[in-house]
Amino acid sequence: MSVTSGVSTGDTAEQQTQASAPERKRGASLHRGEGRRGIYLVAPTIILLAAVIGYPVVKAIVMSFQKDPGLDKATGMFVSGGNAGFSNYTHWILQRCGTASCPPGTLGAEFWDSVGTTFMFTLATVVIEVLLGMWMAVVMNRAFRGRGLLRASVLVPWAIPTAITAKLWYFIFAYDGIANRVLHTHILWTGGEWASRFAIIIADVWKTTPFIALLILAGLQVIPAETYEAARVDGANSWQRFTKVTLPLVRPALMVAILFRVLDALRIYDLPAILTGGGGGTGHATTTLSILVVDQIRGGFNSAAALSTLTFLLIFLVAFIFVKFLGAHVVQTQQRQQKGTI
Amino acid sequence: MSRKRPFDRDASSLGAAGGRAKSWKRPLDRDASSLGAAGGRVMSRRVNAFWGLVAWLVGIAFFLPVAWMVLTSFHSEADAGTNPPKFGASLTLDGYREFFGASTGASPWPPLINSATASIVSTLLVLLLAIPAAYALAIKPVRKWTDVLFFFLSTKMLPAVAGLLPVYLIAQKIGLLDNIWLMVILYTSMNLPIAVWMMHSFLAEVPVAILEAAAIDGARLPTIMRKVIVPVAAPGIAATALICFIFSWNEMLFARVLTGVVAGTAPVFLTSFVTSQGLFLAKVCAAATAISLPVLAAGFAAQDKLVQGLSLGAVK
Repeated sequence: MSVTSGVSTGDTAEQQTQASAPERKRGASLHRGEGRRGIYLVAPTIILLAAVIGYPVVKAIVMSFQKDPGLDKATGMFVSGGNAGFSNYTHWILQRCGTASCPPGTLGAEFWDSVGTTFMFTLATVVIEVLLGMWMAVVMNRAFRGRGLLRASVLVPWAIPTAITAKLWYFIFAYDGIANRVLHTHILWTGGEWASRFAIIIADVWKTTPFIALLILAGLQVIPAETYEAARVDGANSWQRFTKVTLPLVRPALMVAILFRVLDALRIYDLPAILTGGGGGTGHATTTLSILVVDQIRGGFNSAAALSTLTFLLIFLVAFIFVKFLGAHVVQTQQRQQKGTI
Repeated sequence: MSRKRPFDRDASSLGAAGGRAKSWKRPLDRDASSLGAAGGRVMSRRVNAFWGLVAWLVGIAFFLPVAWMVLTSFHSEADAGTNPPKFGASLTLDGYREFFGASTGASPWPPLINSATASIVSTLLVLLLAIPAAYALAIKPVRKWTDVLFFFLSTKMLPAVAGLLPVYLIAQKIGLLDNIWLMVILYTSMNLPIAVWMMHSFLAEVPVAILEAAAIDGARLPTIMRKVIVPVAAPGIAATALICFIFSWNEMLFARVLTGVVAGTAPVFLTSFVTSQGLFLAKVCAAATAISLPVLAAGFAAQDKLVQGLSLGAVK
């Protein structure tokens, strides 16, 4: 890990300060009672987050255990609430409406389909974006004319509102639009089952790849040139330099970037909601979990709350797997970067 | 450009920079290319020129759809509707006149003002809350501060829709539906975690010695904040503000559900505009360009700060 720590010569005042007082830990108390004051500084933020984000989420979990008002399918009586136990959850997971399984075409029958769709989008977009972004970053890491301007212009797709991105690609993918014209095809991009999925993946890759590339580029720029020089002297070719030097050194930052990107992709809403109207294909080819929740809100709050809780659990599970098994150590990576051991 | 500097100097500064991770004091434009050795310099310059061309081609490919949108916005409806697009068609401002309600009388100003209010006020609130919190976490760590940081991160796992429904019900109860101040509060909370995360990265690089000197001179905490932390961390604050502004301006899901006629924001206005004017491509492109303009202007004005901020906020 500590490839660069040995070559630090301390060319900033900050580093000289640290060198002269290595025994003093960052954040050693300047005054008495500072820990308490620290809490006062953090408290407003925590209170606001607890009230505006924490409370609604807890409320959603409570709601998910209550019955939606409506006709009880078992007894045929009208119920206006009451304890539902886990029935809202079993409704989604087992796709059961009352005692029978949900008929095709209802929202209840779409849970596992939309789980599949969401994960498919996540896998496809993240893999393409990271590979393409990595390549773009390596290319942009070289010195050439107008690099600053190029970096600014590739950020444009990321910066414009997703609503506009979606509409822009909606026109490009229209039946008589540019995409069909250029490709000499007659594809129903926003209607066909796989065509609409491809359309969303293409639009998302267009929007996010430059952003990923810039994140990786920032990671590449802290790799010292002499590391490459040493590898070159040892006779490594450019592919070996990439796999043996660049990749291992970028890996911690890359893993965190991928984790954040995956968490965002799993929550995707705007693009499919606008580009294909949430449906696409047979009506739910591009229905992601977030879209299903919004659709369900009209059909019953408490059931929607159960669905959003399930979505949260799925995303949490993915994040947990990332941190536990794939080594995306978010906090540690940051700490180590600050201590200068990466 | 470090290419002009002697190699050994270059390597040592790079090594130091690597040791300190991404210091915001360094210009980002530094050339960290692996081709610094004196030997293959001519060769490497030619190789770099080739890859520079490739990078530009890729960049232009990514930029093309936006360029098409902007160009179409200046065309007349007749020219905009042709396929393949006419690039040489005469330019006109009709699309923009229509967007500003020349014939329908529907003004886009209320949603634009709503978006500006929500974005600017929430960004200021975020900074007001995030800077002290990040200061406490970075410079005077609260016990178990990694737990606190992970708490801030964990809100990224929450699907936005999880909170949407209860927020809707609560807003309905206290009468804040279709009120722009509800969006201000929501955007402040949504951007706070990432802002604390980013500000923490920036403030962690403020030398402790400066703070100690100020403390020895008898400065109290509010003074230290105002006179030391804010000036020293100004680039980081700018980057954080920019990102919060862009996120708030672009947010769509909550705005779509929680606002209506009165408090609708610009992206919501755009989607309804497209639904009613969908056949008029030039007009829609003019609307999209006008609504993208504030974030594009902000992004271009401070692009390297933006990149630094993003890499600190998302990679670190």
